[in-house]
Amino acid sequence: MSAPVESVDTSTPIGTGLGAWLGYIGTTVASLPGTYRSSVKRRPRRMAVITLVVVLALIYPVLNQYFLAGFSRNVFPLPLPDDTVMTFMAIFAIMAVGLNIVAGFAGLLDLGYVAFYAIGAYVAAFLASPHFSAFGINFEFLSLHGAGTPGIHLPFWIVIPIAVVVVATFGALLGAPTLRLRGDYLAIVTLGFGEIVPLVFKNLSNVTLSTTLGPFQINLVGANLTGGVQGINPVDPPFLPILNIPFDARSGFLPVYLGIVLLSMAILVARNLQYSRIGRAWIAIREDEIAAEMMGVNTVRTKLLAFALGASFAGIGGALQASYLGATTSDFFDFTISILVLIMIILGGIGNIWGVVVGAVTLQYLDKTFLPYLGQRVQDNAPWLPNPAQYNFLIFGIILLFMMRFRPQGFLPSRQREAELAVIGLSAAEVEMGVPVDEETGLPLDLDNIEVAPPGQSEIGPDARAPEVPSEGRKL
Amino acid sequence: MDQLLQTLIIGLAEGLIFALVALGYTLVYGIIELINFAHGDLFMIGSLIAFMLIAPKDPSGGLGIFPIRADTPVPLMIAQILLVLVITIAITATLNVAIERLAYRPLRHAPKLAPLISAIGMSFVLQNVGIIFAGSNQRTTENIFPTQNLLAVFGITGFEITTSEVFVGVVTIPLLIGLTWFVAKTRQGKAMRATAQDPDTAGLMGVDVNRTIAITFLIGGALAGAAGVVQILYNNLVQWNLGFRFGLNSFTAAVLGGIGNLQGAVLGALVLGQINAISDRYIAPAWTNAIVFGVLIAIMVFRPTGLLGQQLADRA
Amino acid sequence: MMQETSHPSPSPSGALLTGTLDDAAILVKARGVTKRFGGLTAVSNIDFDIPRGSIVSLIGPNGAGKTTFFNMITGYYAASAGEISFDGKPIVGKKGSKVVSKKPHEVTAMGIGRTFQNIRLFGTMSALDNIRVGMNVHLKSHWWDSVLRTPLMLREELASIDDAMGLLDLVGLKGRADTWARNLPYGDQRRLEIARALATRPKLLLLDEPTAGMNSSETREMTDFIRRLRSELGLTVLLIEHDMRVVMGISERVTVLDHGDKIAEGTPREVRANPLVIEAYLGRGAAEA
Repeated sequence: MSAPVESVDTSTPIGTGLGAWLGYIGTTVASLPGTYRSSVKRRPRRMAVITLVVVLALIYPVLNQYFLAGFSRNVFPLPLPDDTVMTFMAIFAIMAVGLNIVAGFAGLLDLGYVAFYAIGAYVAAFLASPHFSAFGINFEFLSLHGAGTPGIHLPFWIVIPIAVVVVATFGALLGAPTLRLRGDYLAIVTLGFGEIVPLVFKNLSNVTLSTTLGPFQINLVGANLTGGVQGINPVDPPFLPILNIPFDARSGFLPVYLGIVLLSMAILVARNLQYSRIGRAWIAIREDEIAAEMMGVNTVRTKLLAFALGASFAGIGGALQASYLGATTSDFFDFTISILVLIMIILGGIGNIWGVVVGAVTLQYLDKTFLPYLGQRVQDNAPWLPNPAQYNFLIFGIILLFMMRFRPQGFLPSRQREAELAVIGLSAAEVEMGVPVDEETGLPLDLDNIEVAPPGQSEIGPDARAPEVPSEGRKL
Repeated sequence: MDQLLQTLIIGLAEGLIFALVALGYTLVYGIIELINFAHGDLFMIGSLIAFMLIAPKDPSGGLGIFPIRADTPVPLMIAQILLVLVITIAITATLNVAIERLAYRPLRHAPKLAPLISAIGMSFVLQNVGIIFAGSNQRTTENIFPTQNLLAVFGITGFEITTSEVFVGVVTIPLLIGLTWFVAKTRQGKAMRATAQDPDTAGLMGVDVNRTIAITFLIGGALAGAAGVVQILYNNLVQWNLGFRFGLNSFTAAVLGGIGNLQGAVLGALVLGQINAISDRYIAPAWTNAIVFGVLIAIMVFRPTGLLGQQLADRA
Repeated sequence: MMQETSHPSPSPSGALLTGTLDDAAILVKARGVTKRFGGLTAVSNIDFDIPRGSIVSLIGPNGAGKTTFFNMITGYYAASAGEISFDGKPIVGKKGSKVVSKKPHEVTAMGIGRTFQNIRLFGTMSALDNIRVGMNVHLKSHWWDSVLRTPLMLREELASIDDAMGLLDLVGLKGRADTWARNLPYGDQRRLEIARALATRPKLLLLDEPTAGMNSSETREMTDFIRRLRSELGLTVLLIEHDMRVVMGISERVTVLDHGDKIAEGTPREVRANPLVIEAYLGRGAAEA
């Protein structure tokens, strides 16, 4: 799948400053219907599928609550994802989009992505819970819940940007020592970080420390900094003031939409990064690091940015998870989470944003809805059979083996040709080649005219001709 | 002082088990530059097979084919342990060769990270095989070794060495020496070293590269099986996730010694055994894994060639 | 083993080639450049000047140290000793007692573009994007500009596409913008590599065997193209080349390396007549024959 095509008017020069930016955003948004129409004209079948999926994603949570869930409960059991599963689909999709930046674009296999998920969750738990009241730290006035609540209670909307910044910082910190390492060593070192970080959260439950840090005198005796094995509970839910709407596990389908909004933002950010100077530098490093450096790419800086920016998505995911569940425990964050997200991006098509989102949703559905459903049916009807829900990681292991052997590029591989025509590459192509342009949208009427590759090449896309795509140079 | 010595003895016994597993990592990495993520889990399978063979059906839930108990006569016990070793080694060695054939060989010319990911998949598969055979709870066996302190003969009482530590040494040390001899002196060992240096040239020189790699996995699997048997008889417990801790320690040992370097792996394993024992005793078991990972990261980042450098393969 | 470095006698063909130039006319100035790998000295104590606007060739038998020298100019290898300055600014120099080299991306930003002996394009990127990676050093937008699609970023992106299209046109790859680099024919890949190097806006272009694997008509096209680059873009070109017809045909000045030493330097004619060169290529007997 390609990113939605947007157009930029080349005839008028782009101005500077906020006004020009707002103008650009305005025209982009205003041209969306036109863009959509012309895309439908171009590739009706594909657009029909996309439209169906988007509409379904938007109405399903409501439909589920008012009709489907009841039907499944009372009439005939169906493997339908509930609100929690859907929220986690969004959370994992956000993380998959983030890991895709590190592993997909920049080609840096990160096996410890769970560390950033954990840090994001604990940032939310520290900043929006009664936890720190035990240390006499109370910022009651910040709370949206009103006065009298001990501890720090920052609203979710402030927690999210803080989580992003904190996690991005850790991403850069943990990425820095790995920059010179070869791929497999990097994978193991990141795995190590991924194990150490949750262990730290788990074990810092009894800290005795006495030190002077600048003007502060720190005296801790048996302090439970992180909540230990029990974790931190409760954590404030995301809360919309004025309307008084909480988005937690008790608010039905509302958190699903919060998840969809955050996921949409994540996709937009990742896509904007991909089709830009930094995105090209990432892919260049993935393809040939030495050549990239020789062509003027500052590889150290570019890789650090991949680590930091990629990690920050997990920060959003973690903060959303802790706020949504109203609790966080260290046991949740183990190696299997890192691998789960990795499988999601491999399944979907490493390097392709929409592919990894589909991979995340599919795998989460399989893990949290379909396999338990199947397990229930097996338990009810054939209890002597093994319960498939218990062997989810057997299935995931087999998926990994199968994908590496037969389809390493995933089911929705990234298409560089599509990518090329996307975003603003289009207008220049059109200027250069004199393709007839739709007056209203600035888009070429017939995109196939742009493809000047030899016959047979243009229709199926480059990867179709090279089934062994990641065979050389292209590292995962 | 006595406590420290006791800790060192425990660390030595565990280090010797790590050494057998570490050799599997280092051999495979030396020859095909693959971090065989599933190797620790193969070791767990080895322990599980031994458990199944030894533990009685009631109450442990094994098959009880060789029901070794503390009161089994010594000659019979030795014969049974030998049989358990042979059967376990045969299964894990065959399994490891099959794993190479199915999961790694088809990816030999794929990008380097593809086999690593495949190995992670295989690791999950093996863990679940463990769950299928033994459930998800920890399984325990009875301690079959006499518990009296052998050092009492010398009048030492503050710390102890029992028959179980001696058993670990008696099984592992000959295997370690035997393997080193095999790689250094035999024709097949020469083929392994040649393949590690340069598989293409080795192929041109008449070395059957596929066969050599298969034999490397055979040896690695055999060592993991032996380590598994020693582990269950020494620690008396096994669980599906046992491979993670042992795999982590053994891989760290291999890296510490300079991956691809056989003596280095053994040395690294002995060091890791001590790190584990000391951390368990003097810091807290909860931090041990974090410390081992810390060591691993520090070596990989600051001295990726390890303490002794690469030997079997010298193409970084 | 050659011990002495022979200096060419002043040639009659003008100041450009005589070595009597003032510093302003010299783009690259290398003095005593040495590279050791462990015990092996790959390049030993080389002095080397590249006059502005010239086409200079670096030749020598396999293993002579040509590519090593290239890699030191571009900052890929840190030199063991010596100094290299480019356009008056140091690439390799002394900081205290240590020899320090600029990083490759810094060297690229100074104005040196290069191609590779074995083509190293970004295989699954389009031809257009390969070129745009080369423009990286001259783009000013940051990642937050990319995220927010700021006017600065959009302007730069549009300009970079226009420029890249122009470069594709220049190297004769018009219409190939969207093709994956790895799907281009061999000759087109070589040309795309040059276009990518040009995208870094170099003053000096380093070409590592640009005609390797080409037939004679392709080779002729390539040499014409290199000449055009010099005349139309005002570039200085340093070539590594094995094909003597190419070397003799287009270079104004040839430097010969053998076993890491500079054994000859001068016009193609002088170098061709130099017995040391003949010996290096064909062995001692040939030189005496």
